[in-house]
Amino acid sequence: MPQDYQAMLALTVPLALGIAAVASAFGLGRAVSAAMEAISRQPEAGGQIQTAMIIGCALIEALTIYVLVIAFVLQGKIGG
Amino acid sequence: MAVDAAHADGGIPELPNVITLLSHSLHDHPVVAWLHHWEHVLFALIVIAGLCAGAWRFARKPSLIPRDGQNLLELFVEGLDRLLRSLMGSSGRRHLPFIGTLFLYIWCMNLTSLLPGMKPPTSSLNTTVGLALVVFCYVQVVRVKDLGWRQYLDHLAGSPRFDDVKQASMAMKPLLLVIKLFVMAVLLVLELIGELVKPISLSLRLGFNIFAEDVLLAVLVGLGIAAGAALHLPIGLPLQLFAAPLVLIFSTVQALVFALLTTVYISLIAPHDAHPPHEAHA
Repeated sequence: MPQDYQAMLALTVPLALGIAAVASAFGLGRAVSAAMEAISRQPEAGGQIQTAMIIGCALIEALTIYVLVIAFVLQGKIGG
Repeated sequence: MAVDAAHADGGIPELPNVITLLSHSLHDHPVVAWLHHWEHVLFALIVIAGLCAGAWRFARKPSLIPRDGQNLLELFVEGLDRLLRSLMGSSGRRHLPFIGTLFLYIWCMNLTSLLPGMKPPTSSLNTTVGLALVVFCYVQVVRVKDLGWRQYLDHLAGSPRFDDVKQASMAMKPLLLVIKLFVMAVLLVLELIGELVKPISLSLRLGFNIFAEDVLLAVLVGLGIAAGAALHLPIGLPLQLFAAPLVLIFSTVQALVFALLTTVYISLIAPHDAHPPHEAHA
């Protein structure tokens, strides 16, 4: 391990989390806005569209959660 | 207790549960150490015992007009039945026991993160990968039973047809055959790896989500205790209640996603059988 690995970790781990959050926000925003447009076009299909939207959002969130877990693991190594 | 909350390996905060409390007071007892090693299995067994007790109490003598617990159970079963029928057609009803059990089991396991003194078993990858292996075996067995070995392997290899090889000129035949066999082999390997990876992704998604919820609760509990100490209260502030709606929603959503993706994997086959994937609601 290089000498100042803790400083490196302290810089990059929150940055990685921020990038994951931004990317996930973009993806989720597109998914939810498409779902809202679909519901507004056909309100009687609202239940099905809502279910599909929830599943899509869970799949997109999963990628962000992967980053979060790595952040937790690495964050334990900071701090002497 | 605030010290214990920050005590887990790697410095990741984790809430103390019944077994860690035991192991803090009785350090060197071998039984307690063994319990601590297998704590996720123990909590899974507790959830199973709870579910079996509920089923025994409410579903033993089903009456025609349901009341109390039987009503609740029928709510779940009928809701899942409707969901499966809308996804897989009426032939999908035979998968209802498996997928319903999966959903209820994972949902109850996720919800134990809110009970004080318990740790959700799905927060460790051991439980979730076990579930994913069960799903993998079930999906493969269903496919082989429905299609038969030969047709299943044929489908995995991309349904190759050798008509163009038969109609080619004598010079081109060996070349075409070799290319076709090579593509078949590559497709087979890729599809088999894909079949394995899909349940693994299910398990990682579930495990990491519940683990993140657990850590969120632990961090909020630590914050609450620090705030209580700063305000000189005898107990900490219950700040983790702010995260409770999030935990409730995400527990349900993750269980639903697991069950629904299993349904989708089961129904991914059968393009040859030509049964319509969507039927009208009953």
